[in-house]
Amino acid sequence: MNTQTLGKIAATALLFCFFMFFSCTEKDYIYEIESQTILPVNSEKDKGKTEVQYISILYTNLFRKAMSPNDMLDALQAIESIGDKQVAFDILVSKYMNTGEVVMPSKEEMRSNPEKFIRDLYKRFFIRQPTEAELKFMKNYINSRPDALPEHFFFAFATSNEHFHY
Amino acid sequence: MKRRKFIRNSALVAGGVIGMPYILPGGLLKAQTTAPLAQHVVFVLFAGGVRQQESVLKRYLAGSQNEDIEGNIMYNLLDGAPPEDKIAYGRDDTQNNIVGAFPIERLLEDSLESQGTLFPEVRFARGGAGHFNGLCTGVSGNYYVTQGLRDRPASPTIFEYLRRHAGFKATDCWFVGVGIGGSRPLLNYSDHPDYGRQYGGNFLAPLTTFGAPGQKHFMDFKNYHPETDWEIIREIRNFLNNNFVAEGLEIPHLYNTAEEENKIREFVRYMFDKVKQGQVILPPVNDNRDLKTIGYAVEVLRYFKPKLLVVDLSDIDVCHSDFTAYLKNLHRADHGVGFLWREIQRIPEMQDNTIMLVMPEHGRDKDPNPIQDLNDWYAYDHSAGNENTRRIFSLMVGTGIDAGLKVGSSDNPIGDAADITPTIADIFGIKDQVKSAGLLDINARSLFDRI
Repeated sequence: MNTQTLGKIAATALLFCFFMFFSCTEKDYIYEIESQTILPVNSEKDKGKTEVQYISILYTNLFRKAMSPNDMLDALQAIESIGDKQVAFDILVSKYMNTGEVVMPSKEEMRSNPEKFIRDLYKRFFIRQPTEAELKFMKNYINSRPDALPEHFFFAFATSNEHFHY
Repeated sequence: MKRRKFIRNSALVAGGVIGMPYILPGGLLKAQTTAPLAQHVVFVLFAGGVRQQESVLKRYLAGSQNEDIEGNIMYNLLDGAPPEDKIAYGRDDTQNNIVGAFPIERLLEDSLESQGTLFPEVRFARGGAGHFNGLCTGVSGNYYVTQGLRDRPASPTIFEYLRRHAGFKATDCWFVGVGIGGSRPLLNYSDHPDYGRQYGGNFLAPLTTFGAPGQKHFMDFKNYHPETDWEIIREIRNFLNNNFVAEGLEIPHLYNTAEEENKIREFVRYMFDKVKQGQVILPPVNDNRDLKTIGYAVEVLRYFKPKLLVVDLSDIDVCHSDFTAYLKNLHRADHGVGFLWREIQRIPEMQDNTIMLVMPEHGRDKDPNPIQDLNDWYAYDHSAGNENTRRIFSLMVGTGIDAGLKVGSSDNPIGDAADITPTIADIFGIKDQVKSAGLLDINARSLFDRI
């Protein structure tokens, strides 16, 4: 290889390095904000309630009054006597719904202002506001299911996993 | 596609199609090695600490109160004539104020001993002779030296083995407890990380569910329509539950299907109707909790026809303070088991294809405590380290079981309290899977392998 050829290679390499160094002129902006993991709004509720806590809160949420200690003891024993707690809670809530004393809005109230109904539900049972996605789903559900009653929503919220966790 | 690749893909697909039916929801291969010996098993945990002396040894008062009166007060289970003197184990003679004067009539023409196989001398080999300990051993085939009262068994229960390895549904497996005391509601599944709640059996303490607490908080529960109301409730609830289910944060349910949940609810409603009408099936004599529990166990059998039902009895434990009541309850437990077997034969789906197993959860002390009852008879505890508490018996009866066979004796103990779990696994054809899980007591063996 002669000197002329070597010089050409060196010049090409230098030119390549020059272009590589100056080719990207866009500035890197650093905002100094730490990356965040987006979690569902209820993700902090990761501890299960005891059966006593669940029954007590359930009763208060449904009847808007506190449960007597004797009632609490009996309800606790009834729940303990059935192994599948979802079944046991469903029966308990079904029983309470049959008393006619559960404090809940009428069907007309629910349908005249679904958003208020939904926000009140989330606040009462989950102690939080619904997300926009939740609000949209629930409003759509109310509008698309004319046979859906406030009682169905109360039942579903009362026996949901989120209501059992804190 | 190249020929080689085509052949490889075809082989993979064919393998998948062939293998698919054997993959259970639990994710384990179903390698059922033997055909089931029976379609149904009923296991009676009999019943609160039983002394050999008053049960299989038939010594009545001779083995406990220094009175030379022997006899068999368990004549539905065991062969042998009843005592002829100092009868105190039957129903009360209220007119003459004599406690236990009238023995209960036998229900079975032939004793279960003569119909089946008796292991008269079985060892409760390890751990303390406590009720929960004994019950845990009975349902899991392992001993618990440090078992806490409020902890679930550390080893899988027979319910979990059956649901995971034999693919049983939740409503195929039932534990009917005499109550909710003594941590009985914890016996339907273990804490073991490879098994646990998703394979648990259903639990029911009927005297509570259908007694005062249940009547107050369950009875007359609203009857939602399964295809309208429940559909709406489930749709809303499924939406609410979405991200909790993904995180495993659930109400502790037992993975009953929606259909099974509905069936359990309907059973509860059906039973409340029977309670109101006084139509619950009960043994002819039903004056204690054990006998009423057996009645409800029969109702569960009739309604669900489960593959496995475990029922525990505990009234015998009154022996801590009242020996006469112990004798009465032992006699009643025998009456209850006789009734249970008779009723099983009256259920067409279970007749002639059911095996019943009977085993006390542990024994009782050899020497009495100082408490005397109305007959001046001494009471007995079940103390740690007392050798007599380690003496129990096991009995098998039903389809395919040798009749009139006795295996072992007082001088030659054969069998272990941990045997029942591998025995049930053996009956349902999954003994090898249960053994290879490696979570049984080292001495646990199927009773069929001990004959």
